[in-house]
Amino acid sequence: MIRYQGGSLEAFQEIYAQLAAAVRRYLSHLASGSEFADDLLQETFLQMHRSRAAYNPAYAVRPWVFGLARNVFLMNRRAARRWAEVHEFREELPEFPVFPEADGLGSRDQIRRGIACLSADQAEALLLHHEWGFSFDEIAGMLGISAAAARARASRGMADLRVALNSLQRTRA
Amino acid sequence: MIDHSPKPPDALMRAIAQDLKPVKPSPRPLRLALETAPLALLVSSIILLAVGIRGDSGILGPLLTWGASAAQFTLAILLIWIAAHESTPSGRLPKGSVYSVTVAALLVVVAITISTFSISPVGSTLHVAGTLRVVPPLIMDLACGIGSTVAGGILVLLFSWMFRNSLGIRPTVAGALYGAGAGVAINAGWRIACPFPTLRHALGAHGAAIIATVLLGALIGGFLGGRKFHSADRDS
Repeated sequence: MIRYQGGSLEAFQEIYAQLAAAVRRYLSHLASGSEFADDLLQETFLQMHRSRAAYNPAYAVRPWVFGLARNVFLMNRRAARRWAEVHEFREELPEFPVFPEADGLGSRDQIRRGIACLSADQAEALLLHHEWGFSFDEIAGMLGISAAAARARASRGMADLRVALNSLQRTRA
Repeated sequence: MIDHSPKPPDALMRAIAQDLKPVKPSPRPLRLALETAPLALLVSSIILLAVGIRGDSGILGPLLTWGASAAQFTLAILLIWIAAHESTPSGRLPKGSVYSVTVAALLVVVAITISTFSISPVGSTLHVAGTLRVVPPLIMDLACGIGSTVAGGILVLLFSWMFRNSLGIRPTVAGALYGAGAGVAINAGWRIACPFPTLRHALGAHGAAIIATVLLGALIGGFLGGRKFHSADRDS
């Protein structure tokens, strides 16, 4: 990031290569699986470029870019027309990743359905911690909550996911 | 469908390559807040140089004259520090803390105003150009309201310039917070000079100036952040 702030195009390409896939999955989660996530991804990296002077090397790059991505999503959600476009896709199941801790709890499809049943806050904290590996302090900084609240959201999310998966399995049985 | 390979799309690369001038990294929130302190002190002290210290400062004592203003000034720097955190994508503080400190800062201003009024309800006459003047309350309201709004506005403009590279996210909230910091800092200096302690004047005229700087900060922050966001939009 420091090389990128110094004007290196190669440094930008390296950052993109390392982060784009994970940021896209995060945006896809926020946008409920909409194809709009691709546009948001490009906007996130453009926003990162515009805001590169705002980055301080004392912060880790990954949560900083994820925080920007979240902001890009929220800014776009405010635009009513685009928000409507995002909601058109809500009928389809979002492209939720299946993280290792949940892998044994059910099939991929069941887990995706289970995560879709969680509240947006719980699902976001759960995925940021278990799928993308952020610490609770990093999640707190990204979401504007305390580390304890981030831990509680992820923990409740996991508990609710187990309940949702159990009821799904009982229904199938 | 966009290619999901780790290589950036050509359009994005073109937009990035067009503007790759080196940039100076933004300072950490604490350093940014501390850098604003001398400016805030300078602008908030101008009123003291113009009209001097209020005549009833002997009755109020050093604690309520200087100590209360020092406390207000410290709170102003705290608000600016929170603003710097709020605009850092991965460094935001818990919402509860942000709201609590903001409300606490405003309550401290109100409490100091009430304490000042309770100890010196009459106040004193105003020194203008070396002579004592009795100024009508309405003129004092206008002078303090407009004067401290202008001083706060100058400080908000200076802070906006200092924050121009630090508005990564939530620029309107960050702007409102450093606007509140500017307003509280100006009030810290203004209250030592203003000889009118009445609650109507102190909360009305001085309070309105703080609200005006909050709104001005939010407007400028929102404008700067929005411009950055929409120019990114245009590039895409």
